Amino acid sequence: MKKELKFKVNGEDYDLWVEPKTLLVQVLRDELGLKGTKWACDSGACCACTVMVDGRAVKSCSILALQVNGKEVMTVEGLANGPELHPLQQAFIDNWAFQCGFCTSGQLMAAKALLDENPDPTIDEIKIAMDGHLCRCTGYNMISEAIQDAAKRLQAQKQQEGGK
Amino acid sequence: MSEYSVIGKPIKNVDGVAKVTGEAVYAFDMTLPNMLYGKLLRSPHPHAKIISIDTTEAQKLPGVKAIITGKDTPGGKWGLWRRYPELCDQTALATEKVRYIGEPVAAVAATSIDIAERALDLIQVEYEPLPAVFDPLEAIKDDAPLVHEDFENNINATRHIEWGNVDEAFKAADYIREDRFTLSSQHHAPMEVHNALASYDKGTGRLTVWASTQSPYFLQLGLADALKMREGDIRVIKPHVGGGFGGKNSTMPESVNAALLSKKTGRPVKIVYNREEEFIATEHRTAMNLAIKIGLKKDGTILAKEVKIITDGGAYTGLGATTLYLAGTFITFPYKTPNYRYDGFRTYTNTMWSSSMRGFGAVSTVYAAETQLDRAAHDLGIDPLEIRRRNAMTPGYEAPGQYKVESCGILECIDKMKERVKEKWPKLEKDEGIGFATFAYMSGGIFNWIDTPYAFSGAMVKVNIDGTVDLFTQASDIGQGSNTVAAMICAEVLGIDVEDIRLHLGDTAITLTDLGAWGSRETLMNGNAIKAAAEEVKKKLISVARMKLGENIVYDLVVKNKRIYLELRPERGFSYYDIVRDAIKENDGEPLIGIGHYTPHNKGMISPAYGMGIQAVRAKVDRETGHIELRDVIVVHDCGQTINPLGARGQVEGSTQMGLGFGLCEEILMDNGLIINPSFVDYKLIRFRDMPPIELIDVPTYDPEGPFGAKEAAEATASPGAAALANAVYHAVGAEFDTNVLRPEKVLKAIREKEKKDRAGK
Amino acid sequence: MKTILNDFEHFAPKTVEEALDLLSRYGEEECKIVAGGQSLLILMKQRLVTPKYLIDIKGISALDYITFDEQQGLKIGALTTHRAIEKSPVIEKYYPVLAEMEQNVSSVETRNWGTIGGNISHGDPSGDPAPVFIALNGRLRIAGLNGERTVEAEDFTLGYFETVLGHDELLTEIQVPALPPHTGVKYTKFSQLQGDYATASVAVSITLEAKKKTCSDVRIALGAVAPAPMRAKKAEEILRGEKISDDLLARAGQAASEEASPTTDAEVSEEYKRELVKVLVKRVAKEAFERAKKA
Repeated sequence: MKKELKFKVNGEDYDLWVEPKTLLVQVLRDELGLKGTKWACDSGACCACTVMVDGRAVKSCSILALQVNGKEVMTVEGLANGPELHPLQQAFIDNWAFQCGFCTSGQLMAAKALLDENPDPTIDEIKIAMDGHLCRCTGYNMISEAIQDAAKRLQAQKQQEGGK
Repeated sequence: MSEYSVIGKPIKNVDGVAKVTGEAVYAFDMTLPNMLYGKLLRSPHPHAKIISIDTTEAQKLPGVKAIITGKDTPGGKWGLWRRYPELCDQTALATEKVRYIGEPVAAVAATSIDIAERALDLIQVEYEPLPAVFDPLEAIKDDAPLVHEDFENNINATRHIEWGNVDEAFKAADYIREDRFTLSSQHHAPMEVHNALASYDKGTGRLTVWASTQSPYFLQLGLADALKMREGDIRVIKPHVGGGFGGKNSTMPESVNAALLSKKTGRPVKIVYNREEEFIATEHRTAMNLAIKIGLKKDGTILAKEVKIITDGGAYTGLGATTLYLAGTFITFPYKTPNYRYDGFRTYTNTMWSSSMRGFGAVSTVYAAETQLDRAAHDLGIDPLEIRRRNAMTPGYEAPGQYKVESCGILECIDKMKERVKEKWPKLEKDEGIGFATFAYMSGGIFNWIDTPYAFSGAMVKVNIDGTVDLFTQASDIGQGSNTVAAMICAEVLGIDVEDIRLHLGDTAITLTDLGAWGSRETLMNGNAIKAAAEEVKKKLISVARMKLGENIVYDLVVKNKRIYLELRPERGFSYYDIVRDAIKENDGEPLIGIGHYTPHNKGMISPAYGMGIQAVRAKVDRETGHIELRDVIVVHDCGQTINPLGARGQVEGSTQMGLGFGLCEEILMDNGLIINPSFVDYKLIRFRDMPPIELIDVPTYDPEGPFGAKEAAEATASPGAAALANAVYHAVGAEFDTNVLRPEKVLKAIREKEKKDRAGK
Repeated sequence: MKTILNDFEHFAPKTVEEALDLLSRYGEEECKIVAGGQSLLILMKQRLVTPKYLIDIKGISALDYITFDEQQGLKIGALTTHRAIEKSPVIEKYYPVLAEMEQNVSSVETRNWGTIGGNISHGDPSGDPAPVFIALNGRLRIAGLNGERTVEAEDFTLGYFETVLGHDELLTEIQVPALPPHTGVKYTKFSQLQGDYATASVAVSITLEAKKKTCSDVRIALGAVAPAPMRAKKAEEILRGEKISDDLLARAGQAASEEASPTTDAEVSEEYKRELVKVLVKRVAKEAFERAKKA
């Protein structure tokens, strides 16, 4: 029996009816067409499906969609400000922090949650925050570097805004 | 050498924005209107006769639109070794018998994945289990069960290589040692699972397939053979691909069955493997038993090498026969080996089959050769770097009848490594060690097992009236960055920006044939095709510019920075855009098109060029638990002229991660043919915290065969990790290994054995 | 392994009472409680469990809290996330070992959604929190329709994925007494790769006498080396009342390794796990001792 799911995704309100067995990732991809969020392991062990729920990074493959009732979800599609990329996205491009790109959306969302909480993380803090994320292409180091680079950009941005 | 505008510069990935915004579309993301979802029913037995398959109950399930079994297929067999039809052994669905756990026996198409999965549970299959064989050494015995009845002793392929006089050379050697190794398998574990979407048009009899593949052309051929269709009636389109690493070369049952189900239902059908299926029913690295005998002079000079390999082929051929060839080649690299003999055998067993995986043929053999060399160096009292230096190949080195190495920077790589290690790691902690291993790999293969009549690579460049370029290529970017390399090569030739180039990719209907992304072939082979295509256009532009300048033939013109001008008087010239317009107008409106092809000629049996280098791993061993901590890595690499240093570094980092995983933790665990760790929880991959930093040092050379002097980059760096790691442990605590995955328990055992030996020695 | 979960009826009670009421109705049938679901949903995909009824307690906000006072000690609501424990200033100050332990539980993503009560109720012998709570002398509060009970943390798990919880019961709170003076606690899990499941894990709490020479009390808990997390009581006996020395610690390690009852699995042998217990107990107890001296 379908149940009602009211939640916000990337700032937009949604009111859907879903089967209780539906996972959050399935609603995002199949119902809302937000296919930037990937799905890669079926066992909650790769974090490719990471999105933010109420500001925290979580695995959308390991959450019942109904559990985000009333909550705010942010996916990779909500990261850029219109045509303007988020500093994390730009830093990922500038640092070659992805190759095949399949894990990238999840990496970006976890990195966003990290930087929201800790604007100036050390490499070790980045590694701890990102340790759930599998990437078969990059060997991780260039992702860590991109996150540090993004942290610097965000701080500079903040300083600039503060100066205005 | 002229200064390049684009080549050698850190150019950002041309797919960057799509990939960081989530807009990049993978086959995994695709749907079509009216699409059905397919699923495969797989055998629980490693070897069994199929007595009957009853689909009655499953057919009744609402939403089930079609179910097929082996008898519903056209029965076409296929494989990559098309030159040898007997090695084309794959089928869409098993009919007579199943040969591995996970072999598909039926396929369902339904209106949802859920219904398709339920339908599988309702299909009744009666099997009669047969004796099965899992170990290649058992498989070759006379009384072993036959996986394929036509292959005696389960021998699927053999390979003999020999040059020099091995027996005489061993007689002359001061030092001989023989070591045996058992090298395990490894899974590609790409983040995007195998999946395909097929749409058959009944009206025209044509099929379109979107798939996660490394080679649209191979898939087109595989589908044609499997479905008994004409190649030209099949269009394969490769969208973005979420990693391949050698695991997406073969045509696999998901594509073929999606096509069959689409043909049967008249609706598009998509089949997506889940991660468990990815582990149990897609190809993996070739496991092997290996014996290596080496004869040296006192000073460490290699006189002779003799290698015997028996690989665990699994149930079908894939690219496993190629692995056998390459193993026999790359176990000699990058050293001068005056006398060499190799015998390789590939066996059929009742397991999911092994095939190509990043650095195939090299990764396992480098482990054996490079750990053995360290032991020999130790016995002879020679420094590990010095013994490698003394035997290093030099430019122009030739193995008779096999290969010739033109550009060759290995000596310089070793010297740079020596300097850097001294400077960077002057002192070691207790139980810490440094291990070295060299590496080398091909820039695309030469042997035409696929039996294509086409050039190995082709590309087409079309210049539009506004000067922008449409570049058509089938080079497969599966994450390695070949799209960026393609655009860079084209931009360099035409003197324009990478942003001026629009790529049309991986569509067999509109791009010229390319054999795909394997064996590091795209940069050299497709790069040469793109370069030739762009140069054809460039030639047309230059001739128009020359006419306008009125200069005579001896004055060279340059196309650069969006201008075409006299090399010696740069101020005399024209805008690129004006010349493009004139060229089109003056040629009766005929579009500016260049077509380029590349096929290697007179380059031996293996490859037109070889990338190479040396890696160092610093690791600390916990003597009480056997735990290894990876601390630091240095890679010194000769990849000719680096096309894109950003992308090359990315590839070295990823390749190194995979190589270290092969040495540290990645292991496919099997129990009577059943893979018991088919998930990312149980199959251990290195993650952020365990990945050491990597320093990459580039040793530039120029390979005359490659575009702008480029050759293989980074795939070779998948090979040394495990060997360098084992050597680091050897130097830290003296423990020796004849297998590659150094799990703590194994390390602890080896340490205890060494301690016991030392005590006995006293 | 299936892509889609099995069908079930979903209930989302908002209070403990509602949850207990649902449990009393459906608990004896094929019913499961889901909190963060970080383990359960995977088991459901694998069809290892196929509940007909799923009681989703994630929304019971009354069970999401961390409180501390010197008398009562620490109380953690069962639906507190791992991440909340990891980041709690109170825990950082009074029970830093809990924050350290949490930092190595799976991934941040799991810790952000997974709950401490869900983890413990899952009864996984290789889970990280249980050995630490056992070393900390924790108690677990269980609610049922017929009232409440508390059990010692060490008695909660009975065997592989089996706990004392009845069909109609719910774990509601974890209680940890205030640490006695001069107490040091340390937890270490051994896994080849960081963030992975424990091959073996050890938590040790050591309390020293006022002069900080003699061990007045000690609790040693082992994880992943028996069907359930367990106390190594013989090892404790070796240390209790004694002056701590390297030799004594090694003997305790030896005793613990004999007490453990690991089994050989696909990855490691029983012998190796015993070896690990021996080494880890020695090392972890030493660190707990060092901490106790500074406490």
